[in-house]
Amino acid sequence: MARPKRRWQRGVWIALLLAPALLVMTAFVTLPLLAALRYAFYSFNGLAPAGFVGFANFATILFEAPYSGWTLRALGHNMIVFVALMLLQNGLAYLIAFALLKTLPGHRIHQVIVFLPVVLSAVIVGFLWKLMLHPMFGVVNAALALIGIDGPPWLGNEDTALGAIIFTNAWHWVGFPALIFLAGMQRIGAETMEAARLDGAGDWVLLRQIIWPLVAPATTIVFTLTFIGSFNWFELPYVMAGATGSPGGATDVLGLYAYRMAFGSATAGLQDFGRGSALAVLMFLFLAVVSGLALRILRRREIEL
Amino acid sequence: MVKQRMQRLALMATAAWGMALGAAQAGEVTFWTWRQEDKAVYTDLFADFTKANPGITVKFEAFPNENYNTIVSTALAGGKGADVLHVRAYGGLEALAKANYLVPLSTTNVPELKNLPADALGSESLRADGKVYAVSLAGQTLGILINKDLFAKAGVAVPTDWASFIAASKALKAKNITPIANGTATPWMDAVFHSVFANPFLGPQFVADVLAGKATFEDKRFVDATAKLLELRDFMPAGFTGVDYATSQQLFSTGRAAMFVGGSFEIGPFRRANPKLNMDFIAPPGPKGAGLVSRFFDSGFAINAKSEHQADATKLVRWLATPAFAAKAAEKLGNISSLSSVTNPDPLLGKVAKLNATAMPYIMLVHFRYEAPTGSDLLQDGVQKMMAGTMTAAEVGATVTQGIAKYYVPFQKK
Amino acid sequence: MRGEGVKNTAIQLLLAVNALVMLFPIALMVLSAFKSNAEIFDSPFTLPETLDFSNLLHVWSDTEFVQYLLNSLVITTSAVLLILLAGTLAAYALARYTFPLNASLYLFFLAGLMVPLKLAVIPLFVELDTIGLLDTRLGLVLIYVAMGLPSGVFIMTGFLRNLPGELEEAARIEGASEGRILAQIMVPLARPALVIVAIQNAVPIWNDFFFPLVFITTDARKTLPQGLTVFMGEYSTDWGVLFAGLMLAALPITLVYILLSKQFIAGMTQGAVK
Repeated sequence: MARPKRRWQRGVWIALLLAPALLVMTAFVTLPLLAALRYAFYSFNGLAPAGFVGFANFATILFEAPYSGWTLRALGHNMIVFVALMLLQNGLAYLIAFALLKTLPGHRIHQVIVFLPVVLSAVIVGFLWKLMLHPMFGVVNAALALIGIDGPPWLGNEDTALGAIIFTNAWHWVGFPALIFLAGMQRIGAETMEAARLDGAGDWVLLRQIIWPLVAPATTIVFTLTFIGSFNWFELPYVMAGATGSPGGATDVLGLYAYRMAFGSATAGLQDFGRGSALAVLMFLFLAVVSGLALRILRRREIEL
Repeated sequence: MVKQRMQRLALMATAAWGMALGAAQAGEVTFWTWRQEDKAVYTDLFADFTKANPGITVKFEAFPNENYNTIVSTALAGGKGADVLHVRAYGGLEALAKANYLVPLSTTNVPELKNLPADALGSESLRADGKVYAVSLAGQTLGILINKDLFAKAGVAVPTDWASFIAASKALKAKNITPIANGTATPWMDAVFHSVFANPFLGPQFVADVLAGKATFEDKRFVDATAKLLELRDFMPAGFTGVDYATSQQLFSTGRAAMFVGGSFEIGPFRRANPKLNMDFIAPPGPKGAGLVSRFFDSGFAINAKSEHQADATKLVRWLATPAFAAKAAEKLGNISSLSSVTNPDPLLGKVAKLNATAMPYIMLVHFRYEAPTGSDLLQDGVQKMMAGTMTAAEVGATVTQGIAKYYVPFQKK
Repeated sequence: MRGEGVKNTAIQLLLAVNALVMLFPIALMVLSAFKSNAEIFDSPFTLPETLDFSNLLHVWSDTEFVQYLLNSLVITTSAVLLILLAGTLAAYALARYTFPLNASLYLFFLAGLMVPLKLAVIPLFVELDTIGLLDTRLGLVLIYVAMGLPSGVFIMTGFLRNLPGELEEAARIEGASEGRILAQIMVPLARPALVIVAIQNAVPIWNDFFFPLVFITTDARKTLPQGLTVFMGEYSTDWGVLFAGLMLAALPITLVYILLSKQFIAGMTQGAVK
């Protein structure tokens, strides 16, 4: 008698644990989103849906010039953003975490400092760095001039604009992965580290062979959040390069492109909820498939390592 | 019992959080705009309205320009939004009107429409049904603002044709004055820049040919006029590809650059930023003598079809079409009123109005902003690239033509 | 030992350079808030000639600063607490129990991370209107909770999953209830993850102005970034005022962070397996 009752209780317990989160998510993410995604299958007459058009909006975005070219260009930029952030932002975060792990004098204040920009908004960060990178008043070019380099107008040059925004993003967010890595490293325990040191392992060996495998769960979190963040990238490029991904679309990414199609740019564009929603559907499918696969691999790796 | 108690509890909870529905007071009309910087002027103007219409007050609500489309389209789609809306002209107006979000205006519900000239009415009409949906506020003129003091200091005469414009720019630069304040980092400014300098070379005949389907933007006239812009790169600020709109404004208003290529709508803000600025507004240089300025109507006032205060909202919109409002608004906002009967006492704006007598349309806004991809989107992208040296003028013409060909039939056969 | 010294110096150098790069732009913002427009352009990187408080006073007196601040505090705090509560419960179920729908539910939450909710703003508007929460702070809080839960559940699940099972088993054998195990054993162990989730959500919620702009129209319910965004629009050409507004918008959360940084960092470390 006791066992079935306990199993029944267990079911209720699990359901109770999940209910609040599921309820809020369904009401305020799933339902409105499904309603919005329905737009993807409609043509629009101004702001009002005009008729069901099946997959026509998808076909336009993927196969019709100039839209197809813009879609590909934006996707390419998202990929660059992802790779660059993994290397620059997260690589640096990993090093900083290791440096902080050593608990050298002043490590506490450094911990506070490295995380400080994370609390600022993208609006502030974007605005500040626009000024820092300004071709006439910017400190970056002023500093470069001191060592005889004639800095480009970073945000106005098609070759440097995306890189400059990626750098700004890394400046803004590096503290977050750094602390996730640090939390992971601190869980390893002093004994394990000491033991490895006694075995004659140097910092590099320690970093590669002891710490790296043991922070695998932290890596999974950082990788996944960076991946999804890179492909949903919106706020910072919006503040620094505007809705059109200036200059000449050199910083256009999928998030900007979808928003611009759905809501128009303030000064030049028209709104088309149909195409904007269609692009959002495609982005979601892409992200879901790729991160689903990546998570499987990363989880297996966590267990193997 | 329990149910009742729950309801009371829920009611109390919502009350504690503050519910706004139905909270709008009787006799209050809400007004939405993206013109945050005009708040003081509108507050003053709406006080006049309340004086003329006792019992009706206007609640002014401004939103950031970049988010205004999103906020308005969301609220209207949800059956809400302000009673009276500041709307854009041409394609921007059509997007709202087509969806039946706005009340059509006629001389029956707004007799004051007769105060407006036909082209102003046209800018706020839906082409499909020919009905007017908003009261046009102002006309804008694109040309060149100059700092007279800097010209005098450098001993340079105000240029008229292209050759003298280049000579003057060279002379200013030799005196270490940045001749042109504009950069190319803000895309919509590139479309303005193009219109100002290319239109005098294009001429009205080109516009007529495009509208008649006889010419595309691959036409030699368009390509040559567009390529003219490249000669100006030497006279723009260092690193101009990274200089945005706000910086350009600063450069001109603080007297660091001698010329600002832009619209008559800049006059007011420049005066506010620097009352001592000694400005003039001149026509752009043409091949021989002064060229034609570009002109358009820029915004209007519309009634939300779902407004619960139709009568009061109509009263407000009627008042917004009166010469009394238009004269004061034109003076305070530094605009040229859409009402032809209203003249601006400001000598500078008076001069702009005179230039308007022979003007060309701001082509992309007036004719190619009704469908996506808009002519403005395509042109500003192309000009930005051309000025940065990654696209040729011929390529700009080709991209613009191909993009517009998606919906403009005369471009499709080629 | 000498090698160690050199290495430590190198590490200190790395941290010092990093600190400089991190702090400089922030210092620039603070300094610019005390400068006049002309001074910002003439000498953007020097100390202000005089401590000019007029920009700050301008922001203070021309906006409902205190009201906006209180609204932001209430909204951010409620949303973060609800995310922590609902997120921990859900993550605990996903991480520590095996049941048939586990994997699918995990993916459901994860999918929430990938959706561009901004594009669903119209249906959200209609929904809030229908349930009477349009133009209310509660409506905003619920949206933020829904937006924060995916990453909250994701981070918490990842963390809880990797906690050792011995303590839990021991407690179970001693007859502790499931609720007790969760509250008294697992939650304390998960403190670092809770801290990470809290700060990861508090920052974007505090800084968001998009949803308030669309959903809140009553002045008394506006948030700080929303109120200041509109205010700064009026002064788009006065960069001194602009910086003052930016600084004041960032100040509260920055101060909270600095004041709580000790607890914050301790919280992250304490969960470490000793």
